[in-house]
Amino acid sequence: MTPNVVILCAAGMLVTAYLMVGQKSLFTTIRLYGVQSLLLATVAVVMAISDKRPHLFVMATMTTVLKGFAIPLFLMRVVDRIGIHREIEPFLNVPASLLACLGLTVVGYRVSTGFAEGTVGVTHHVLGVGLSTLMIGLFLMVTRKKAISQVLALLTVENAIFLIALGITSGMPLVVELGIFFDVILAVLVLGILVRRIVDRFESMDVSRLSNLKG
Amino acid sequence: MTLLVWTLLAPLLTAALGGIRASRKVEEIVIISGLSVTFGLCLATAWQFLTGPMPTAFNDALRVDGLSALVLVLCGFIGLLSAAYGVGYTRRNDARGLVTPRMRQEFSVLTPAYVFAMLLVAVSNNLGILWIAVELTTLASVFLVAYHNRDTSLEAAWKFLMLGSLGLGFALLGTVLLFASAQGALGEDMAALHWTRFMAHASELHPFTLRLGVVFALIGYGTKAGLAPMHTWKPDAYREAPSPAGVMMAVGMLNAALYCLLRVHLISKAALGPDFSGGLLLTLGLLSVLVAMPFILIQWNLKRLLAYSSIEHIGIMAVGIGLGGEAAVFGALLHMTYHTFAKPVAFFSAGTLSQLHRSSNFAVIGQGTLARAPITSALLLLAALFVTGSPPFSLFFSEMMILRAGFLGSHVIATSVFLAALVILFCGFAYQIGRLVLGQQAAERASAADPETLDWGVGVTLVAALIAIVSTFYLPGPLMGLIRAAAAVVSEGA
Repeated sequence: MTPNVVILCAAGMLVTAYLMVGQKSLFTTIRLYGVQSLLLATVAVVMAISDKRPHLFVMATMTTVLKGFAIPLFLMRVVDRIGIHREIEPFLNVPASLLACLGLTVVGYRVSTGFAEGTVGVTHHVLGVGLSTLMIGLFLMVTRKKAISQVLALLTVENAIFLIALGITSGMPLVVELGIFFDVILAVLVLGILVRRIVDRFESMDVSRLSNLKG
Repeated sequence: MTLLVWTLLAPLLTAALGGIRASRKVEEIVIISGLSVTFGLCLATAWQFLTGPMPTAFNDALRVDGLSALVLVLCGFIGLLSAAYGVGYTRRNDARGLVTPRMRQEFSVLTPAYVFAMLLVAVSNNLGILWIAVELTTLASVFLVAYHNRDTSLEAAWKFLMLGSLGLGFALLGTVLLFASAQGALGEDMAALHWTRFMAHASELHPFTLRLGVVFALIGYGTKAGLAPMHTWKPDAYREAPSPAGVMMAVGMLNAALYCLLRVHLISKAALGPDFSGGLLLTLGLLSVLVAMPFILIQWNLKRLLAYSSIEHIGIMAVGIGLGGEAAVFGALLHMTYHTFAKPVAFFSAGTLSQLHRSSNFAVIGQGTLARAPITSALLLLAALFVTGSPPFSLFFSEMMILRAGFLGSHVIATSVFLAALVILFCGFAYQIGRLVLGQQAAERASAADPETLDWGVGVTLVAALIAIVSTFYLPGPLMGLIRAAAAVVSEGA
């Protein structure tokens, strides 16, 4: 049963990434990110039980509390205060984006077969999903215009990296993982402050307006 | 508590003290004395490395070998120098009422914090801590880029943070893949990510995973170093950051990022042979030099010109390391050292000129600055001779060393392209600075600028110029020893 739960949750993360691509409401995108983080935490919990790796419980708890709730709530507050709730038309329209992401998923699965552990079973799927989510995150980053959407894309990339880490190494050493969590929180705070400053200054968080610097 | 731990605590304490709201005088004293102590401790740590047992802390998570010691000393030096210039810079802005207490506080907290993060990069032996430290440098410097709070500075800070975070995401993925490539051979405790343990188990690493990891890590840390094609944040950030912060990014961060690249390169070299990551570094380095070329020729802004020059120099160092072989590696590390001494002069004098004219655009500054601000312009001209690598100044020798090694080695075509690019870059940079400093002064310009006075900022620039000139002809024995030890680490992996 365990492998099925892991695969189901990993696949769920990929689905949330796809939904993010198809979504324009910022609130829904933030919630999707929260769901994605909770799925990541579930993968960690299942692996902690089945592989008897207690330190993964710590990681799962941190993921749930920080990425599942704290970061989404913080971002929602930022969006609320700014008062801009929808992504404007992205650089590439939704159907085309979804098609592009489909291609990225195929590439992700193809690359995952190159790993020593990646050809069969659970790891194959976890790695494939991780790499695909990573590339979808990157894709979101280049096609979205709102500052908050770009932050969410960055956080999706980061979730994907954690999933890959779970898939092929069963997690990094605990101290390092805690340090990375601390940095991510700090980064989100810094991003939040910067978004506020940009909005105060430009009365918009459309980053495609940030295009005065050239040459 | 060992000396090494104190070296890291000193800038952290300075940052904490800088956060206390105090009068300008007190804040100046705190930051200067704090970073002087830090530099002193860096020197002491390096001295301990040279004379006695290798300084380590926290179960080898922090470890000072030759490469670490060299980067540590150079970063400590840059921290002190830019804080000293920063005092003068802030005073000038203060006199015009441009500085709020909040900005002053930001500067006196973030500068030592930035120095702390760079020193942590330099001494970390653990790839996880290395990543965390690099992320800290990014977070500490974002608000230094956004310091002036103009439209353009927010834009630059946003690009810097987004590209930086993306690069660090790649670097994290690279670290994960490097760890995974060992397939459990490294163990699972904290020490599993130690660089020394990777080196000890190099032959057991899984080649495919390792290759992928190395590519991601090099691209990730390459973004922080500003290697093309991940360099696009650099010109914006350098233009907007206040000059003292610009120097820390252009020299301190550049050295720290090069340190990360070298650590990854060494793991790859031990496991896969020198050609894989070496070839990658050579390609990225060459690309950086080539990308800088057109932008220097058509540049319209003094600080952006310096940014492209910085892209050129990280390119030169990457080429040196990519070429491999003892001579080229020694040349690259010597280049790093000389660059650390020479670049501040360029940034400081450019900063002063921009402040006097209230803009760094060539069109606003106007030609013939020598008549308006003789000392600063002369220093800028001198700095231009340095950074273009003109004989008899220091960077000429290190560039020659790399070129010689390239022509004697197996990459003759790449080296020829490299040489041609360097010549064009020399002409472009000399043309731009020459026109700015020595050009015909338009009559109405003469009164547009503030008069140059021999203030604190100009004084620091003079001292920096003196250090740069002395370093050309004489490097102290212990520093030379550090460069040799660092070269030994890079060419032998010891």
